[in-house]
Amino acid sequence: MTAAQIPATNAAAPSLAARARDVVAFEWTKLRSVRSHYITLLIAAVVTIGTSAIVAHAIASVPKSPPAGLSALTASFLAYAEYAVIPVSVLAVLQFTSEYSTGLIRTTFIAVPRRWAVLAGKAAVVGSAALVTGEVLAFACFAMVQALLSGRHRGVSLAQPRVPGAVLAAGFVLCACALTALGLAAIIRHTAGAITATLAAIYLVAGLCLFLPSPWKDDIGRFTMAFAASQVIALHPQAGLFSPWASMLVLAAWPAGALLAAGLVISHRDA
Amino acid sequence: MIELHGLTKRFGRVTAVDDLSFTVRPGHVTGFLGPNGAGKTTTMRIILGLDAPTSGTALVAGRRYQQIVRPLWHVGSLLDATAVHGGRAAYDHLLAVALSNGIGRSRVAQVLELAGLSAVARHRIRSFSLGMKQRLGIAAALLGEPPVLIFDEPANGLDADGVRWIRMLLRQLATDGHTVLVSSHLMSEMALTADHLIIIGRGKLLADTPTERLTESSTRTDVFVRSPRASELAALLTASGADVTAEDGGLAVTSLDAPAIADLAAQHGIAVHELMPRQPSLEQAYLDLTGASTDYRAADQASRSQASR
Repeated sequence: MTAAQIPATNAAAPSLAARARDVVAFEWTKLRSVRSHYITLLIAAVVTIGTSAIVAHAIASVPKSPPAGLSALTASFLAYAEYAVIPVSVLAVLQFTSEYSTGLIRTTFIAVPRRWAVLAGKAAVVGSAALVTGEVLAFACFAMVQALLSGRHRGVSLAQPRVPGAVLAAGFVLCACALTALGLAAIIRHTAGAITATLAAIYLVAGLCLFLPSPWKDDIGRFTMAFAASQVIALHPQAGLFSPWASMLVLAAWPAGALLAAGLVISHRDA
Repeated sequence: MIELHGLTKRFGRVTAVDDLSFTVRPGHVTGFLGPNGAGKTTTMRIILGLDAPTSGTALVAGRRYQQIVRPLWHVGSLLDATAVHGGRAAYDHLLAVALSNGIGRSRVAQVLELAGLSAVARHRIRSFSLGMKQRLGIAAALLGEPPVLIFDEPANGLDADGVRWIRMLLRQLATDGHTVLVSSHLMSEMALTADHLIIIGRGKLLADTPTERLTESSTRTDVFVRSPRASELAALLTASGADVTAEDGGLAVTSLDAPAIADLAAQHGIAVHELMPRQPSLEQAYLDLTGASTDYRAADQASRSQASR
């Protein structure tokens, strides 16, 4: 066969939609075909819901109102904020770092040489999986905690204003964390380093802001994922921080920034 | 068809590929040879769009690899058979790669059959031997029925059966009109498989020749002579301008061909018991060609490590 004959084997150039379907099918097949991915998600779900029950039981058994500043709604997501966020973020990290450590990334880039397309495919699949997991777990935690608290007449219900939005937003937090993790993993390539960077982005930056003197604490802290997350899930948002809607933008900006940086890095770096 | 034009790749101060130009044509198995570290893998990685060249171009079917939409329909490749996720079943690995380029499930079953992996398709790759992983990698390369195939050391780590399977597959692909580029650092393997050779050393092109012509260009052709009066004959030969070295039980003569040696011996009444023009083996021709570049590399490294001390 000569060069001139080659286009004939695949004459009709596939549409952009078909190519998008290709990369999503590629990444989805890779995600769903490794058993440890399911096990990780299952453990995350069990531990998150189980710990939520323990937290709710502890709060319910305190005779007076919940610990200072802790609303019944926020209490729903205490366990979720760690036991769902950490394993799902690690899973997102592995979608890049396991390919780099095994060398599979080269197969990926040979199959799909446009690296922005690879990143977009992974982001679509990991983001969707994290969003579904996040919403399911957020509603499950909410239902579990409120069921235990309502026995003491201290629960909140989905019928109250702001509550459905807050639970939905809690689910989105998981998606934002997973996509931030994915972007950082593409840049860093090594599992341990990427996990450290992800945990720093999600928790450590906000943790450091807590040590800042008063006006700065909120002025800087409101740009962090943890502060923004606490705003979107709060029944009564804090005054010094961004509004829940602006906090949603902050939560979207972190993954957007991480993915943008990742795209620039991987499209200019030898694989 | 694969075309390289002045391809150069530098990593810092090290030049891995140095102004490399060659063309790989359809219908042949082209062996890509060179000592370890000669730049074979780097060249292949550039052809496949993994690394960006410092300068020059590498074209497959007239285009840069990154410009090809659904490239697996045009180019199949295997760089490293161990670069797979051990926790995934062979079928799922191939299915993912197939779907990435809009290739159907039926073709996955076909390549599994072709590679003799149908029975273990649902097993996780972790349980595979190196030979089975090589077969899996080759199955993946054949998914899109591409006209161009690029394999990096596909016979590495295979047993005799596996090596023979790959050799026959490569020959068959070439006979069917495919463009086949296959790298190796072993001349003995390429001698049996390749009908064209591209040899590089230190990133530079050393030879681009049909396999059977490689030995012709060698400077090592000589004539082996055995005679009961060897020392006398040696003196005569040297006097007529030949270079003579003693070799177990005889003389190795260069710069004078067999008839001339025989005539000279006859003129002086010296009996000749054996007279044998010798061509070097492919292996020897290859080693002669690459010897300079490997020696230089070793010396270079030695001096560099000395300098750093």
